[in-house]
Amino acid sequence: MNRPLIAIGGMTAAALLMAGMTIGGSSRAAAQPDDYSAIPVSPNVITDSTAYTAAAPMINPNGQPGVTTVYTHRDDTRQITNTILVLPDPQAATNAISEIRSGLGDRVSNGRTQPAAVGTGGTVVTGTSPDGTKSVSVLLFTEGNAAGSIEFEGPKNDSVPLDLVVDYGQKQDTAIKDSLTT
Amino acid sequence: MRKIAMAVVAGAILSGSLATAQTATAAQVTHDPNVTVYTQAPRPTVQGLDCAGGTGAMGCGPGWFWRDGWRGFACYPC
Repeated sequence: MNRPLIAIGGMTAAALLMAGMTIGGSSRAAAQPDDYSAIPVSPNVITDSTAYTAAAPMINPNGQPGVTTVYTHRDDTRQITNTILVLPDPQAATNAISEIRSGLGDRVSNGRTQPAAVGTGGTVVTGTSPDGTKSVSVLLFTEGNAAGSIEFEGPKNDSVPLDLVVDYGQKQDTAIKDSLTT
Repeated sequence: MRKIAMAVVAGAILSGSLATAQTATAAQVTHDPNVTVYTQAPRPTVQGLDCAGGTGAMGCGPGWFWRDGWRGFACYPC
């Protein structure tokens, strides 16, 4: 009479063990090193908390390891495109930023460059879109082996304030440090 | 002799009280029950206008106004 109970107990234990292995396996899969979708910081952390809506993150944009997330303002006139590339080493990150900067002419006209206290070598290029209808500011910085490029596009007569760019960039920089060092 | 002394003392007391008595002057204001007392008019308050010509919505104050901008709904400079 005790044998069926023992058998049921053994099966239950085996099932629990297998379930535990499955759960453990899936959690390891979610933490794969090249899934960077959690790195971009929502700009809502520095706004009234509901201003921006995030699109689905684009993993490995243009074939480069990293992530791009686009945040659109509810008034549909402002957009923040946040790209974080995770490269093999800091030099590769610096090279990536140089490459992005050299190609900014296609995205920013009459660009004015100024330093920004974000990460390493933080700079902001502010100007207008090539067709002159929008304001465009691009924040570039590196943090270790990561290269950050955050583009702020808005109304022509209402470019993004520099203090917001720095504030948001610093929060993104902190998130990169936290993500890539753990 | 005693009467003389008493008279001197009384005279001294009388002259002392007269000497210390208040004297009327030209500037002295006499009590007039018909005098009207005017209270000070309230000082005009100055209220700065915001850039839309109002007095500042949401407590933004002069030079600022409330709108939906880069930081969402907040006070922004004019």
